Amino acid sequence: MSDNVEKYIKRKVYKGTSSKIAQKFVDAGLEKIRACINCGTCSGSCPSGRRTAYRTRSVIRRALMGDESVLEDIDIWLCSTCYYCYERCPRNIPVTDMIIKLRNIAVEEGHILDSHFTLANDIFYQTGHGVPANGDANKKWRDLRESYGLPPLPPTVHTHPEALKECQELMKSIGFRKLMDNVEKIKAKERKEKEKAEKEEK
Amino acid sequence: MTESTKEIKVSRNTKPKIGVYVCHCGVNIAGVIDVVKLKDYALTLPDVVLAREYKFMCSDNGQKLIRDDIEAGLINRVVVAACSPRMHEPTFRLVCKEAGLNQFLFEQANIREHATWVNMYDSEGAYDIAKDHVRMAVAKARRLLPLEVQRVKVEPSTLIIGGGIAGMNAALDLADEGYKVYLVERTPTIGGHMAQLDKTFPTMDCSACILTPKMVDVGRKDKIEILTYSEVVDVSGYVGNFEVTIMKKPHYVDQEKCTACGACVENCPITVGNEFDLGMATRKAVYIPFPQAVPGQYTIDMNACVKCGICARPDVCEPGAINYDDKPEYMKVKVGTIIVATGWDLYDPTELKQYGYGRFPNVINSLQMERLLSSFGPVLGKPVRPSDLKAPHKIAFLQCVGSRNFREGGHTYCSRVCCMYATKQARQYKEKHPDAEVYIFYMDIRAFGKGYEEFYESASENYGINYIRGRIAEVYEGENHNIIIRSEDTLIQTPIELEVDMFVLSCGLEACADAGEVASLLSVQRSADGFFMEAHPKLRPVDTLTDGIFVAGVAQGPKDIPDTVAQAKGAASSAAALMSQGEVEIEPYYSVVLEHLCSGCRSCQSLCPFGAIDFDEVKNVAVVNPALCKGCGTCVSACPSGAMVQNHFAGFQLESIINVAVKQSSIENGGK
Amino acid sequence: MNENKKRKYAFFLGCVAPNRYPMIESSIRAVFDHLGAEILEMEGASCCPAPGVFRAFHIPTWLVIAARNITIAEELGVDIITGCNGCYGTLRDAWWELNHKPELKKMVNEHLAKVGRQYKGNIEPKHIVQALYQDMGMDYLRDFVKHRFKDLKVAVHYGCHIVKPSDKRPWGGEYECPTFLDELVEMTGAKSIDYKDKFMCCGAGGAVRTAVKEVAADFSREKLTNIRDAGADIIIDCCPFCHLQLDLGQMEANSVYGAMIGEPFKIPVIYITQLLGLSFGIDPNQLGLIKNHELAGVSPFIPIEPFMQKVKEELT
Repeated sequence: MSDNVEKYIKRKVYKGTSSKIAQKFVDAGLEKIRACINCGTCSGSCPSGRRTAYRTRSVIRRALMGDESVLEDIDIWLCSTCYYCYERCPRNIPVTDMIIKLRNIAVEEGHILDSHFTLANDIFYQTGHGVPANGDANKKWRDLRESYGLPPLPPTVHTHPEALKECQELMKSIGFRKLMDNVEKIKAKERKEKEKAEKEEK
Repeated sequence: MTESTKEIKVSRNTKPKIGVYVCHCGVNIAGVIDVVKLKDYALTLPDVVLAREYKFMCSDNGQKLIRDDIEAGLINRVVVAACSPRMHEPTFRLVCKEAGLNQFLFEQANIREHATWVNMYDSEGAYDIAKDHVRMAVAKARRLLPLEVQRVKVEPSTLIIGGGIAGMNAALDLADEGYKVYLVERTPTIGGHMAQLDKTFPTMDCSACILTPKMVDVGRKDKIEILTYSEVVDVSGYVGNFEVTIMKKPHYVDQEKCTACGACVENCPITVGNEFDLGMATRKAVYIPFPQAVPGQYTIDMNACVKCGICARPDVCEPGAINYDDKPEYMKVKVGTIIVATGWDLYDPTELKQYGYGRFPNVINSLQMERLLSSFGPVLGKPVRPSDLKAPHKIAFLQCVGSRNFREGGHTYCSRVCCMYATKQARQYKEKHPDAEVYIFYMDIRAFGKGYEEFYESASENYGINYIRGRIAEVYEGENHNIIIRSEDTLIQTPIELEVDMFVLSCGLEACADAGEVASLLSVQRSADGFFMEAHPKLRPVDTLTDGIFVAGVAQGPKDIPDTVAQAKGAASSAAALMSQGEVEIEPYYSVVLEHLCSGCRSCQSLCPFGAIDFDEVKNVAVVNPALCKGCGTCVSACPSGAMVQNHFAGFQLESIINVAVKQSSIENGGK
Repeated sequence: MNENKKRKYAFFLGCVAPNRYPMIESSIRAVFDHLGAEILEMEGASCCPAPGVFRAFHIPTWLVIAARNITIAEELGVDIITGCNGCYGTLRDAWWELNHKPELKKMVNEHLAKVGRQYKGNIEPKHIVQALYQDMGMDYLRDFVKHRFKDLKVAVHYGCHIVKPSDKRPWGGEYECPTFLDELVEMTGAKSIDYKDKFMCCGAGGAVRTAVKEVAADFSREKLTNIRDAGADIIIDCCPFCHLQLDLGQMEANSVYGAMIGEPFKIPVIYITQLLGLSFGIDPNQLGLIKNHELAGVSPFIPIEPFMQKVKEELT
């Protein structure tokens, strides 16, 4: 009998609490999000939406209504930032900028894919590039460069260690380092809680 | 209220006895500042003999306070500190007049809009500003002089610009009241856009059937002079006395001789697109816009005509009405009032490339759809789609095209009629093809009028029209020039990719392309949305801010036919009210020349924007025409000799205000 | 030639072009040199930073690192050119934001001061296509055409960030149906063919590729299907990330969606300056069109020999 309770009873009723997420948008000068009338032009334009469960309009609506589950949803990471919604919104809302801000808020609360976290924390912070060419694993790419008559490493942070230091200084100063450390903490905590729950089940 | 039989005599030497009345205006003023304190402050000002405060000065009781004080001989100047003079200056002036005090011995201090309303949370600051305003008003009141309003005669005739349903209705009402009407219409026929419609919502009356009798009526009335194919090219003058120049464009067909037999059309070798059918049908270079046109005479479109001479042959045009040498004719008329009823243009959706208008043949606009549905349209009421001239089985409409658009350069307003006309067109199509699939893509459905919601309900229930809530994102062409629509059904949160045979854009209404020119011609304003601006959005919807000029119909803003007719009747009524008195009062703010100071330099005459200044060659002085002068003050500031004085805003009056404006504390000894 | 003789640009490399598709970098260098422009290196530049990922993680970090990159060119005193839509998107949007919002500029400069830099906003970030089409102009470029490709059907892929957000781009607000890249392609004699959803996103950007590769691969599958159905010989693009998604992604689409697509895709993907360079008569080796190595698992993943074969005749 309890299976049916699990299956059929869903007590999801909107209680109309004010949206903390919406307030963050207003504080960041993005109050234009509140002008959304849910016309659906954004979702209608979305190339991702017609092959995934991502609905641009719903994501904006959930943010405005204070449905915090939107921050944990992978759907907000399936927007390819093609900007069609931004261009076509009749209320002139810069929709793509809103999705990006929503992602920022999600990351603040530790909701980031492991692959993205590695990219940000390990690759970007450590090398200064998003797609690096240094290190043993990337030897073939350096060889490829040389085969086209280019120096094995480009004249970027790869060959200017002082420039990489500058970037890291800036990332510390602007709060990126702190953000990453905070995310690491949240993720470690989540892992622990998950392990504990799994142990208890056994 | 009867006027007092004797007016209190006041001259420049009469000692001013100023009464100051501070209004609470409910909580608008009293809720922010201490009105009793303000009244007491007023009493400290020189020449103020009494001061009162009251909840609503504009009420009967408030007015009585002033009247009683005047009649008791206590005061000979009145200052009311309250709302903006634009609200109640006329009210209080009338009170003065009725009590026997010249109405121009009144001054209003605006302590609501200028003090309390803009400083709602700063009581001290508002109070300081209110004190300033009272002090300045009292200073001016001290120097006010009695003036007499001017009365000018009003011509009992009206110029109506625009011969659509608004213009025609206004013309009929005014003619019935006995006024002469000049009905000027730019195209060769009256009728306007309503003539292009097939049926009208929600009654599904045939548009031509309800319109043409009106057109015939207009044509029959003696008092209405129809001037089609004409344009207003110059307007000067003022309320009651407008001088209008009308250019009658050359028809190249003598309108007296033409019998409308149509032989010219049969023989004309030139074919061009027909504007009445939005390019979906053709006409000849010599043409009549549509069969029921009024007047029924023909016109030659000289841009298309090659002057081959065929129509001019006596065996073609028997009455010999063709005249290739026709020239524009100018006529000057004098009218008392003008009604602007110039209507609208349909928004052109070509710039919205995502909808394919102009690129894909099967994307049409709503007026084109209307012509396809029309029984005297290009397909005689059996709609077909442009690419293959077959009746479409699946049609989609998109609402809000060119409306409710907050992007750069877009029209932000709702065009009001599109939800209803799309429902109407959808229903008409289903009546002709019950098996067709018809979709209406919308953001909101606005069915606000009498019978409108019921019409909408019936469209779904009885006609099976599919309403999809989702604004279409983009369309592309499939096979056979079919249109594939991409949208989201927002109510079930699913992307849609719908293939249809024809796509109709429900375009919004916008102000005519030359509305700016018409506005300059008449010196009337336009609102931010481009339509002509009404004097007050709530209470004066058919007046403009220019006395004697009224506006009616979509020229003032998008609306349906019932509202258009109501406004037309309202404008006619207002114009008639103005003309029925035979004369109208003009405020006496005109300038006066002090001849002994005038050096005859004529600077004022060259600068006057209203042509109100003449020059007396004999006396070598400037002369102001009080009726034309609008009191703008340009001549006053330009005059190098200080010879120009403006009534009610004279230098000595303004100086007194300026002198007290900047002083912080109350003035002792009259500021001397 | 005179006004263009010493056009100088600071070349922003980014990450994908130099580190995964170096032939794109060498073809840009070769073409600009051939056209008489001087390329200055932006020593010490970093990732732009990539808009889809890093801007999404923390907007202020994105803005500060982008500003830092721009200051390198400001020190050189010349405009930036970049061959990547993503880098263009970042540098251009950051430039626009900082030049329009004084409080942002102030905030960024407070941080840049700590590493001895100041953002001034006096140089413009440009895409190489913008430099070719607007700075040099079609009339100037046409004079360099030596070989015209008679029978080449090209599916042109603009990508997204070169035209959007349109209010921050130099194309007069046009983003639904731009034509500038088609014009450059057709200058070489090739025919730019129409295909369904020509302006659709490749799917790589916006962190999608790094989030779920299969979703990005589905975008590519759809685009490649449309391109194949229209009968294109090659794809021309102007972004290394789109290039990667359409090249490596073509292989991924073949493997993940093999059942849907039937015959595997094998459409060569060529970068715009590679095509232009060939047309101008530049040595194909300099354009990265000839394989001079025996490395495995490197770009290009879809062989481009069929393309070189097809145009062999016109090049002799």
